[in-house]
Amino acid sequence: MSSRRTGAGPTLNFKAVLLGEGCVGKTSLVLRYMEDKFNTQHLSTLQASFVTKKVTLPDEQRAQLNIWDTAGQERFHALGPIYYRGSDGALLVYDITDQDSFQKVKSWVRELKQMRGSEIALIIVGNKTDLEDQRAISYETALRYAQTVGAQYVETSAKENEGVNELFELLTQLMVEHYGSKQQSDTNALRLQNSRLAPNAGAISISDDAEADQENGHAAAAHRSCCGI
Amino acid sequence: MANRAPMLRIGQQDLKCRQGCGFYGNTQFDGLCSKCFRERNDKQRKKQRASEDHEALYTGASSAGGTMEHKSPQHSLSLGRAKPKKQPEKEQPHNETPTASSTMPRKKFTVPAVLQKTLKNKLAVPQQPRVPSATEKQFMLQLRQLRIPDDAKRKLKSEIQRLDHEIRKYMNNNSTKNVDELSDLVQNAYTRVADIVHNDQRFEIATNEDRDSAIDFFEKVVMTQNHNLLFSPYFTTDEESDIKVQKRIRQLSWITAKHLDCSIDEVNAEARDLVYNAISELVGIDSYYSPQEKLLCTVRCCRHIFELLKRSTGGPASADDFLPALIFVVLKANPVRLHSNLNFVNRFTNASRVMSGEGGYYFTNLCSAIAFIENLNGESLSIGAEEFDALMSGEQTYSTPWESALLACESLHLISENMKCMEQLQKRNSVIATGIKDFERELIEFQREVTEKVDTVMAKAPLTLLPIKTPPFLISQARAHLSQDGVEAVAGHYQTNLLSGGLGQHQLSAKSKEKELATHEDSHLEAAHTLALKDTSIGSVGRLSPLHQNLPQPDQLFASPIFNYTPFDAVSLLEESSENGDVLMLGSEFQGGLTNINYDFDLSDQSGENSVADESKLNLDEFDPLVQQRQQIASTVPNSAAELSLLDTTTDSLIDCDVPLAGALLPSPLKPEVANYRGFSNFDIPSISCNTGDFSSLNQDVNDPGVPAPSNK
Repeated sequence: MSSRRTGAGPTLNFKAVLLGEGCVGKTSLVLRYMEDKFNTQHLSTLQASFVTKKVTLPDEQRAQLNIWDTAGQERFHALGPIYYRGSDGALLVYDITDQDSFQKVKSWVRELKQMRGSEIALIIVGNKTDLEDQRAISYETALRYAQTVGAQYVETSAKENEGVNELFELLTQLMVEHYGSKQQSDTNALRLQNSRLAPNAGAISISDDAEADQENGHAAAAHRSCCGI
Repeated sequence: MANRAPMLRIGQQDLKCRQGCGFYGNTQFDGLCSKCFRERNDKQRKKQRASEDHEALYTGASSAGGTMEHKSPQHSLSLGRAKPKKQPEKEQPHNETPTASSTMPRKKFTVPAVLQKTLKNKLAVPQQPRVPSATEKQFMLQLRQLRIPDDAKRKLKSEIQRLDHEIRKYMNNNSTKNVDELSDLVQNAYTRVADIVHNDQRFEIATNEDRDSAIDFFEKVVMTQNHNLLFSPYFTTDEESDIKVQKRIRQLSWITAKHLDCSIDEVNAEARDLVYNAISELVGIDSYYSPQEKLLCTVRCCRHIFELLKRSTGGPASADDFLPALIFVVLKANPVRLHSNLNFVNRFTNASRVMSGEGGYYFTNLCSAIAFIENLNGESLSIGAEEFDALMSGEQTYSTPWESALLACESLHLISENMKCMEQLQKRNSVIATGIKDFERELIEFQREVTEKVDTVMAKAPLTLLPIKTPPFLISQARAHLSQDGVEAVAGHYQTNLLSGGLGQHQLSAKSKEKELATHEDSHLEAAHTLALKDTSIGSVGRLSPLHQNLPQPDQLFASPIFNYTPFDAVSLLEESSENGDVLMLGSEFQGGLTNINYDFDLSDQSGENSVADESKLNLDEFDPLVQQRQQIASTVPNSAAELSLLDTTTDSLIDCDVPLAGALLPSPLKPEVANYRGFSNFDIPSISCNTGDFSSLNQDVNDPGVPAPSNK
């Protein structure tokens, strides 16, 4: 939706939410991802519920990734819409050793499809592959399910740091794709703002600014991650 | 809990007067202290007056017209830029005044140059307070500090004014307002500004950071200046929601960290401090004007919570820990105008801000915390629905060490307060009690005194009534008269007797006696006198009077003061007098009697014997033992005097039956005398002086038994 700061800005802003039952490893995934990239991020030592990350896209475009953790307890389930409102992607995490958590993911998918339709990039994440011997949901089952709902399927192990980076790269890529397609088919924008963005938010202007901002970008990135913006 | 928050929720600086005089300001006074506010008001009034005058002057002087800013030398460009809020306001009155004052200037030109100069100076002074409100100054400074070209600054300023104007126009528009429309209006403006900042030529050399800060600045200025219009607008239900949430949170005061499964150690002092810090920040959200500041405040609040969680969990906290903790803090803080604040941010901040960034994330969490609180039920706290209902209704109380400690403290405080109150009440009560006792004692004392006095008086002056003895010749005369006269005439005689007896006046009764004699009253006379006596006894002595016992006749009972007075009106007298000559005489005598009623109110005299006493002392001396003695002495006088003189009265006869009345019944020759007296004065007003003169002479006569009745004449 309107998650980009401006269409002409140098950085694209993406927002992704982490959904899933409690204790499936959402936070661990985030922590692992952040930790691996910036070894001593003091920010992450304080909290792991909200992280931002600057990424450079394959086409040299810079983007900022906002990852929002959500509370996984059942009692907070109803609050989901507040979080995934306006998000570009959603990571639906489940524990491969826990059948219930997979069911939960299914319910999340239903909800997201209903609320957001196809404007949101969905990735179903089977976590805890290190506990292969206790696996309750087979890779094939999960993959088949993911394909039926139009989502990607990734298996990771936050503990062993397996597939975490790949997961987030995939997420970024999906969101960029979604963004691009949305820009083209963005005829029924909710706000005038969006429609105003559309004409000058093309790739050309973005890349132009990105070039100009290349030098400042590094300083800015360091600064921003400092205060977590 | 909230009331024990150790930190000030609003900074000292915010409480102080905006003028910086050091006193505390008041939001009602526009953030000024009362003194500065008054001063400013006075200045504004003066300025208004002055500017009206000067409007005329200026428009006249510089026919080119133009706006006020151009005229005022005070308004440098930078200054003017910094007060975008005031601009539209200022322009509106100016648009109107020229038409009103267009006829004025010519007149004003006659004002001497010196005066004009002073007027100009006056104009210059009041211009100043318009410019520098603290926030405006700040904005001015910030605008200067923005690292964008001056052209861009000017453009930014004009955009600020434009949005400002648009918002005001929308708010002043009479048509139905929709907050979403307003929100769209603002959001579109943000987009437009973002577009300008990023694409306009004037911003070309600015860095991205500076562009962002320019956009932020734009938002901040507009939101701060229009906060009062946009925050909880009257056409929304924000306020009701605020109250609802507040009530709800109050109902949920029993919720503890345990209910929410959050790892806040409520008993730990350090943890409590952090909770307090978080609460302070959360409550402080309401004190900021712009959405950015509100968001920053939220971020600070959440950072405290994370600090707290880090201590209790030992590692970076996840959302699983964070959200319950935030809910806990919101519940314990119960911030004011929660919904209004959230809606304000949601509607009027740059949409991207709440969608991303740390502020956005925390804000979203805050929103969901409130949503959770609103939809809370037993299930979400892992307690039974029945228990939840009981706790909500207050039937059941849930206590934890912390809560109960707080509760105990509060209760103790309350107890001590109540004790103090009770003590005070007790004191007052005892004062009242002693007062009552004193009063009671006084009353009893008074009653005793009165009784005593009455008793002594009664003991000193016992009233003994003796049966009336009428001389036999009188009876025969009366019978003869009765056989002659009609009933009316008799009634007239009654009155006479009543009157004379009632007055208890020796003199009067002497007179009346004469009349009676003249009219040959007899048997009725007796009754009349007893009635009269009855009256006096009732009037003066009341129940204490021994007369009650002593008076045997039953016909006394119907005697009443009214009975006495009714026939005394002049008309009836006149009527009576027209009937026969005798009655006429009586009428005049009546009138004399009437005057006597007014004159001698000593009806209180217990008996005819008192009438002998000195007139001047009559009533008051009644209780005076000395007088009593004198009276007693005097009472013996008439007995002897009556024998000697013609002054015998019926009353006397009542009192003392032994007195021979033979001598007293002679005065028929007096009749013409009385008639003469009457003749001297006018008819209606009987000869008071004459009578009194008469009586006084009589009195003397009575007092001096040696003087015989003939002195009457």
